[in-house]
Amino acid sequence: MTDASGPLDRFKALLEEFYVAPYRGALARAQRDEDDLFMLFVFAELMGVPNPAAYYTLELQPLLLERFHEWHRRQGLEHSPLDGFRCC
Amino acid sequence: MAPPTRLGALTSRRVPLLLSDVVSAAGSSRPNRSPLLKLLLTRPLLFIGGKGGVGKTTTAAALALTSADTGRRTLLVSTDPAHSLGDLFDRAIGSRETSLAPSLWAIEVDPDEQANDHLATVKARMKRLVHPKAYDEIDRQLDLARLAPGTVEAAMLERVSEVMALAGDRYDQVIFDTAPTGHTVRLLSLPEIMAAWTEGLLGHRKRSEHLGSALRHLGGGRVQGDDLSMLDAAVDHDPGSRDAQLSTLLQDRRRKFVRAREQLLDREQCAFLLVLNPDRLSVLETIKARDTLARFSVPVSALVVNQVLPTNADGTFLEARRRQEAKHLGWIDNEFSSIPRVRVPLLPGDVHDLDTLRRLGSWIASDGQDSD
Repeated sequence: MTDASGPLDRFKALLEEFYVAPYRGALARAQRDEDDLFMLFVFAELMGVPNPAAYYTLELQPLLLERFHEWHRRQGLEHSPLDGFRCC
Repeated sequence: MAPPTRLGALTSRRVPLLLSDVVSAAGSSRPNRSPLLKLLLTRPLLFIGGKGGVGKTTTAAALALTSADTGRRTLLVSTDPAHSLGDLFDRAIGSRETSLAPSLWAIEVDPDEQANDHLATVKARMKRLVHPKAYDEIDRQLDLARLAPGTVEAAMLERVSEVMALAGDRYDQVIFDTAPTGHTVRLLSLPEIMAAWTEGLLGHRKRSEHLGSALRHLGGGRVQGDDLSMLDAAVDHDPGSRDAQLSTLLQDRRRKFVRAREQLLDREQCAFLLVLNPDRLSVLETIKARDTLARFSVPVSALVVNQVLPTNADGTFLEARRRQEAKHLGWIDNEFSSIPRVRVPLLPGDVHDLDTLRRLGSWIASDGQDSD
């Protein structure tokens, strides 16, 4: 993280990593879960879940297309439920 | 404009029989004779609702014309999927503002056109992001979305909110001639439901953003894929701008819904008027409409009891009908005793000229007195 010039600095950086890394992992997972849930709301119709606001979430889909591939893989869908999208 | 001969008896000042007859027929039970109704009818937003065929469009047009005649810039809006405003005024009225008379404009909302515009925008944005090979697929998906249940309703709500925003701004008064009651109640409840929905989505965005910023403080970035070991090398795939755009879109939506909802609830801004006929089904539906509207905290401001048989309509058949009608009128007075009501007589002919509409409008606005 920080530029380690001396052995002591390097030790401090390592120690910091030691404490911080688990939290970072937990936070990253939490954020990913939150984002996955959001994706589910926006792409619910594709999964066969009726979406009360499909008309309004449609305008969000273009912004999420890039994350779409990772998301559908994590949801256990081997291939994109949208055949034509370049992700797979 | 000279009144057509078939309406001469009603509209000519020499024979003002019909309207005044109804006043005497109604007798002392006429309630709330006050300038209240007139006041209600000058609210920037006026919704006219009721069962199919009771005279909503005619009432809305009459009031709009009366409002425009006082110099107030007035917009008359039809949200009924089966538009009849154009038929009433005998001219084509489209989804853009059409001038009908001095200070009076009209719109017939076309939810299909609105939905097509919306989907075209989404298509264009998507096509910027995918391979041209996928264009056909996008077209196919979005054309299906256009036919999905709820799409037309959502498009209608979008347009109605836009038009509502014109009240008190470009127009002094906006008068909605709404579709039959069930449809209207749904339209009124949608802003609340949709606002709650976007609120929920925004909540998820916020939590994600908080987690993201905490993560950046710890030296991480957004995680891509399943492999969390790449955490240390996590690169920010410029989701910042994407995330910001998502939030902006959602917030814009929510702002529109909340604004529409606030306008509907503001009793200084918005009045809701129900039209009914003195017959059993019409009264029953009006009772239901009032109760449903009350659940959404939208009170009924006034009632127009339309097509009341005039006393001078003669014959034994009409006499029998009148006796029947008197019961229903009594029922209406009991049931809606706290709501200002005005009775409008059944007219001997169709209403489709400006002059008759004007007289009808001033009759309603002046609480059932032939003011001019």
